[in-house]
Amino acid sequence: MPFFLAQAGGPVLPAIAIVALCVIAGIGTIMLLPSHFHPSWRKVGGALTAATGLIFLAAVLRHEAAEHQTDIHSVYFYIFSAFGLVCAMRVITHRQPVYSALYFVLTVFASAGLFVLLMAEFMAAALVIIYAGAILITYVFVIMLASQPTSVDGAHPTPAQQMADYDNVSRDPFIAATIGFALMGILLFVIFDRAEEITVASLNPTALSEGIARQAPAVEGNTQELGVYLFSHQQVSLELAGLLLTIAMVGAIVIARRRVTIPESLAAAPAEVVVFPATPVDDNPHSIPVYGTDNPSQKAYPET
Amino acid sequence: MNPLALQHYLAVGAIMFCIGLIGFMTRRNLIVMFLCTELMFQGVAINLIAFGRFHDNLAGQAFVIFVLVIAAAEASLALGLVVLLFRQRNTLDADAWRDMKG
Repeated sequence: MPFFLAQAGGPVLPAIAIVALCVIAGIGTIMLLPSHFHPSWRKVGGALTAATGLIFLAAVLRHEAAEHQTDIHSVYFYIFSAFGLVCAMRVITHRQPVYSALYFVLTVFASAGLFVLLMAEFMAAALVIIYAGAILITYVFVIMLASQPTSVDGAHPTPAQQMADYDNVSRDPFIAATIGFALMGILLFVIFDRAEEITVASLNPTALSEGIARQAPAVEGNTQELGVYLFSHQQVSLELAGLLLTIAMVGAIVIARRRVTIPESLAAAPAEVVVFPATPVDDNPHSIPVYGTDNPSQKAYPET
Repeated sequence: MNPLALQHYLAVGAIMFCIGLIGFMTRRNLIVMFLCTELMFQGVAINLIAFGRFHDNLAGQAFVIFVLVIAAAEASLALGLVVLLFRQRNTLDADAWRDMKG
């Protein structure tokens, strides 16, 4: 019997405590979500949610301190996960979409930190590059593109009044918080009370990994191992992923392109080429001046 | 050895998923709704990588790569659709499309 199954500590949190914490956090979240309530409600809601999170953290820490000695690894784990969850709350509660997107970047960084703790360095780098670098930039571009100035009566509108109504008022916060925190309570109950504790040490490495990782040739590092695994076991999936990305790119271009309408007068006019003695100053073809019309489809290079 | 159990990571993933779910249901801005689905993807990715680490194989990480691929494809298509919808109604409110029932 391994030592960590023999302890008498019991579950991390009793079920009734999980239910109570979820109820309090749900009330706090309802008050935190954008609504017409007085701004002080949001402060109270934020305090409630933060207090719930601290109690939860304290319970987990107390449970852990009773059984293991804390090392630097778990300190980093608590820092990253608390940071990521606080930023996730800010993502869904902030009124301005730009700030939501920026808080999501912080959540991605926290997740990347957790991935590093889980010995998945390549995935951490890929997450930062793809999510924080590519997807979020697209989001911010679309937010800038699709935001509209709202005209507000009054000389000095508050920042909240300048926001559009659909950012200021959330839809059915009570029902959503009930469903979400009920799901969270059930999941936490199953995770903490019904699952037996699994650590890396508790799993027999030779038993569980007999197929996959050990057949690969011995290479150094997580990135190399992952590459060997992908190209030896997941070739078809990899090709399909590339195909899917290509299809998605074509689809996105087709969806979002805007048909440029050329005015009648320009479209009907014959192609007009201004012939001018153009002498390139060097061999660079781009140094040839281009004469054309206002109609971009009639642009032509002068014939020399 | 690592004293953290699998449960710690699963709990973080579960909480992040539920936060994203609440955000998806409450927010009315189309862009923020898609941002919340990305938050749910994050929770799932943490779960998958934690399982892969504690079972000592690479299937979890490979799975997360494909989740990233799907997320990128979904983001590009969804944002294209959002731009299209914004041009039609000149608003990002999801309730503007309330009559679209099917």
